[in-house]
Amino acid sequence: MLLGTLIYGFVNSCLLALLAMGFNLTFGISGVANFSYGAIYIFSGFAAWIFLNSAGLPYALCVIMAIGLSATLGVLIYHVVIKRVKGLALSEVMATFGLGLAIMELFRYFDFVGFKYTLPNLIEGSVAIGDVYIDYQRIAVILAAIALTGFIYVFTHYTRTGLAFRAIAQDERTALTFGMDSDHIAALSMGFGSALAAAAAVVVLPLGTIAVEGGYDVLLNALAVCIVGGLGSTVGILVASVLIGYAQTITANYLEPHWMMLVSLIAIAIVLCIKPSGIFGHQKELEERI
Amino acid sequence: MSKQALRVFSLLFFLTLLPGFYSVCHSADPIVLGVPTSLGFLEGKEGLACVNLAVDEINAAGGVNVGGTMRPFKVVAIDARGAEPGVPVAEVIKAHKKLILEDGAKFIVFGSFRSEAAIACMDLVSQYKIPMLLGTAMSPEMQKKVTQDYDKYKYTFRVCLNAVYLIKYLGGTMGYLNKKFGFNKVFIMDQDVAWARKTGDLMISMVFEKMGWQVVGRQTYPTGASDFSSGLMKAKAGGAQVILPIFDMPQSGILVKQWNAMKVPALVAGFISPLAGPAAWKTFDEKIEGAINAIFEIGNVPVKKVPKSVEFFEKYEKRYGKPIEAGHSPAPAYEMVYLLKDAIEKARSVDGDAVVTELEKTDRLGAMGRIKFGKDHQVIYGEDPAENAMGCMIQWRQGKRVVVYPESVAEGEIALPEGLKAVK
Repeated sequence: MLLGTLIYGFVNSCLLALLAMGFNLTFGISGVANFSYGAIYIFSGFAAWIFLNSAGLPYALCVIMAIGLSATLGVLIYHVVIKRVKGLALSEVMATFGLGLAIMELFRYFDFVGFKYTLPNLIEGSVAIGDVYIDYQRIAVILAAIALTGFIYVFTHYTRTGLAFRAIAQDERTALTFGMDSDHIAALSMGFGSALAAAAAVVVLPLGTIAVEGGYDVLLNALAVCIVGGLGSTVGILVASVLIGYAQTITANYLEPHWMMLVSLIAIAIVLCIKPSGIFGHQKELEERI
Repeated sequence: MSKQALRVFSLLFFLTLLPGFYSVCHSADPIVLGVPTSLGFLEGKEGLACVNLAVDEINAAGGVNVGGTMRPFKVVAIDARGAEPGVPVAEVIKAHKKLILEDGAKFIVFGSFRSEAAIACMDLVSQYKIPMLLGTAMSPEMQKKVTQDYDKYKYTFRVCLNAVYLIKYLGGTMGYLNKKFGFNKVFIMDQDVAWARKTGDLMISMVFEKMGWQVVGRQTYPTGASDFSSGLMKAKAGGAQVILPIFDMPQSGILVKQWNAMKVPALVAGFISPLAGPAAWKTFDEKIEGAINAIFEIGNVPVKKVPKSVEFFEKYEKRYGKPIEAGHSPAPAYEMVYLLKDAIEKARSVDGDAVVTELEKTDRLGAMGRIKFGKDHQVIYGEDPAENAMGCMIQWRQGKRVVVYPESVAEGEIALPEGLKAVK
């Protein structure tokens, strides 16, 4: 049981990191808390399912197309919705949350409900670690989390666009004086964030079914990880994912699965009371100290 | 235009409209059937489809003879969403109220999805004297209320299986597993909803304790959960030989896929809603071999020994171009419209009290077997389709559903999947 808790806790931590990465990237750069993130995640899952089952395309192509489509949707959301309310935090939250609700309820309206909406595993089979079996799909979750973390690090440190992302995130006005278009970069960050949500979806969704209401859980988990770790901090995301991931698994294994969602909410409440910027966040550190 | 021409034109116009006026004035008022279910769940969606199937058949044959006047049925459905997590009971009650007060529903057909809401709605239908026939909610609490205060709650009937009858089918299957394979250790995994919790409780008190089984653990999951690894690990650690799942949410099918991937050496035998229909084999990547699943009412699966169940199953497939996938609700949904038609015709009225009296006398051979209500307004389920309505247990084998229990309708014996061994 202990070994199982360790292994499945680690898988859950990687899963949470995957879910939160896109949300964090968008917020860290454009400063926009994209509350339609859960809807984009679900949109990606359904898009891959439609390409696979209705168009009959090869799965690898379906995955690439779903990621591409989600990235395009993210850019569109920025230009059509977010750009108009940028800087008005409450309006941003309401606009993106409303849009997310609309996207998810549209899927429900068009009858995307039921257990048939599942994505195939990327790799079939399972392997034993001690006396605990773990399927390859969960190993794929771990590998995807590691690969995407590495990709984000390299991208934001060694590419022109990535450096521009960081410049805008650090000081938008100074970046503007260097000729960087903050709107263009913010739209790109929405695209990247949405692509990351899609990448998480195609890796995580084969472990369950694509359900409209799953979007709310994804948003809540992404928010919990980002708030605990510190919005905009990649290291914070990783640490918070491990903390919440293990806390959830221990709760499910030694208490009841009922309390799993409470873990995220309690974590949010505690961090907001003690250190509102999160463990590694610097957003309002000065105000907090004062 | 001359005055003469205008008069002729007006006369012609009036004559053209006359047949329309005549038909409007003389067409019989439809009898409105309100269907307030959860269309986001397979059972709700297919249940409504079956209500429509029966209504279309009845209307095509002329409608319902109400004291000499042929009146058609008209279905008004609301997606009350009561089965979804977080939707309060009050919303479902509102849906019932709308159907009765605004849409003029004379009968509530299929009823609320969850028992929590169905039981609350019993007071409402009693207030307006509207007969309500339930097709998904399973808690025996409904019968208790009918029995305790008959005059108030006599308007509610249940056509589908209830938790107590489900216990009998599941208990019989456990007895079979014990007798044939020597299994006596079980791990229960259930959903946190009234009927599933009650079924789990009753399985412990009415079956496992009496049969001397050891319940090595129980884990209850919230609706919407899709990671069952913790329960499966506990089942394995506890040495369970049988895992008894009790779930009706779409995500629950993943449990068997995880069971397969984690190689838990226990037989899955219980009820997982997504495992009931023929599409499950492909949906779950052929990873459900050997799983045993309850079909709450026959007709939802064609049973060769009950020809009417095959006839109904095929009729549905012909009408909608796809087979029934839900193991619970479609057959009762279809049958309850006919029960209502018969009761209205015998009562020669749509008056609630008169129809209730006739519903109580129901005796019909249908897709589920022989349908009769008990004094508590629950259709009686048993093991002989000529005497009672029936449910059954199927086992997934090489992509096919084989009926394995009860013996009266079985088409094969339970076989252990690869990797599992009998202990006697």
